[in-house]
Amino acid sequence: MALSSESSVDRESREKITVRNVSRAYDSTQALEGVSLSVGEGEFCCIVGPSGCGKTTLLRAIAGLDDPDGGSILVGGDPVTGPGLDRGMVFQEYALFPWRTVRGNVRFGLDRPACDCADCEARVRELIDLVGLDGFEDAYPKELSGGMKQRVGIARALAPDPEILLMDEPFGSVDARTRDRLHAELLDIWAQTGQTVVFVTHDIDEAVTLADRVVVMDAEPGSVQSTFSIGIERPRERTSREFVDYVARIRDELGSPIDTIE
Amino acid sequence: MSTQTDTRSSAVVAGSFEGDPRRYLRGLGGLLVFLLVWWVGAMTTQPSYLVPGPLDSVRAFIDLFATTTAIVVPVSGSDLVLPTGLAHLTETLFHYVPGLLLGASCGVSLGLAMGWNGALDDWLRPLVRVLRPIPPLAWVVFAIVWFGIHHTGAAFIVFVGAFWINFYGAYGGVEGVSTDLTDAASTLGVERDLSMLKLVALPSAAPQVLTGFRTSIGRCWMIVVGAELFGAPGVGYEIINASNNLAMATSVAYMFLISLAFLCMDVGFRLLEGRVLAWR
Repeated sequence: MALSSESSVDRESREKITVRNVSRAYDSTQALEGVSLSVGEGEFCCIVGPSGCGKTTLLRAIAGLDDPDGGSILVGGDPVTGPGLDRGMVFQEYALFPWRTVRGNVRFGLDRPACDCADCEARVRELIDLVGLDGFEDAYPKELSGGMKQRVGIARALAPDPEILLMDEPFGSVDARTRDRLHAELLDIWAQTGQTVVFVTHDIDEAVTLADRVVVMDAEPGSVQSTFSIGIERPRERTSREFVDYVARIRDELGSPIDTIE
Repeated sequence: MSTQTDTRSSAVVAGSFEGDPRRYLRGLGGLLVFLLVWWVGAMTTQPSYLVPGPLDSVRAFIDLFATTTAIVVPVSGSDLVLPTGLAHLTETLFHYVPGLLLGASCGVSLGLAMGWNGALDDWLRPLVRVLRPIPPLAWVVFAIVWFGIHHTGAAFIVFVGAFWINFYGAYGGVEGVSTDLTDAASTLGVERDLSMLKLVALPSAAPQVLTGFRTSIGRCWMIVVGAELFGAPGVGYEIINASNNLAMATSVAYMFLISLAFLCMDVGFRLLEGRVLAWR
């Protein structure tokens, strides 16, 4: 796939996701209160925050898996009423179908609704190749490591060619070295597909490595505290002064040492 | 993406039984001790019919296949001539198999429906609580007055037994479907409830459904023999028939035959289960 000729700034000027004043309460906790946020088309947006700040709830609301009590969410100008193939989701614990092979998992979204199958086989092969799993087409999830499982999760979410990729702490359970490589590969895929990405994490380093913009959320009640545009060229060096500076500023913003809480 | 360092595809763990012959020897030892105790017990007990000896029992078992018996095939009504042991086993299967399959299908269907549909669950749960504890054999009185104690009546009792075990297998299986998986499926375009049941709930519940069915294979053998003690034709009936003539060795031979039939079915089904659930 060729790189998109548009720069990410051009794409961001068009709003893809609009969250307006969204609230959501569970029993006694206010998971989200008056959350507003907009994500530009083609933007890579990371949401960071401590446990219980509602970042996952917000992501699930955008996915249409959770119904907010108040406010509205628009995707491409249309209100979200439920899940849809325009929004692919990558789950923290992979959520692969254990009875399906790698191929079967990647294929799942292509078969609903049924599509032109001559094309589908090629599409599945292309995706498996994209995430570097060729040779593992017939393996079952139980045979894969955490990093490989999440590659399948990403390929499966990409299969229906969604305009938006929603990722819920996708690399939280993989080891540090695998995570570094997955970051680079995810950025490659993002550059190739030009999708809008909303990526939830509690790891500030991860957010600054990936994002165009980092949204910092606060807990009790879950709300947007501030946002940071990360103006560093990719690939980013974690040891560079700019990088360290962004991480320190975001950590200050979060106030408490969240790494020890998580 | 490359996969240099995370290619730990899980090695298939070899069954721990294989490779250790001592475990087989212990099992063989246990059998030999049992045979010895049995043999001594038979030698020292009078009158001899109280405990038929191992050799007499084996002889009786061989005799089951030395003579032939004609049985009537249900529905078609034609005669079938088979070695005696096989003939009575076939008679049992004439009600065991339909009872088991029909009971399992109905049980699985209701279990899936109730596990999946909250409203239906609310409606039927108290009823299930009341009916479930009734031992299948207690239905024998209705089997007799409704169907007469023949193939249909015995099949009905087997049906009741198979129904509940399979019901709970499917019910628990569907209830345990992870919301992560249903969420993933909805983001991938599964919209209708029925598609979700077929594409996610059913395959996810398959291990429990199959375990339920395998359990019911064994339980239904117990039930079917119970039903035959009331007079339905088959191996269970032959056990009591032989004992009425004090041919206790023949009773033991039929007990062996049941054990053998169960073992074959259990091993066969385990093989099938292993293939279907290769993903586990």
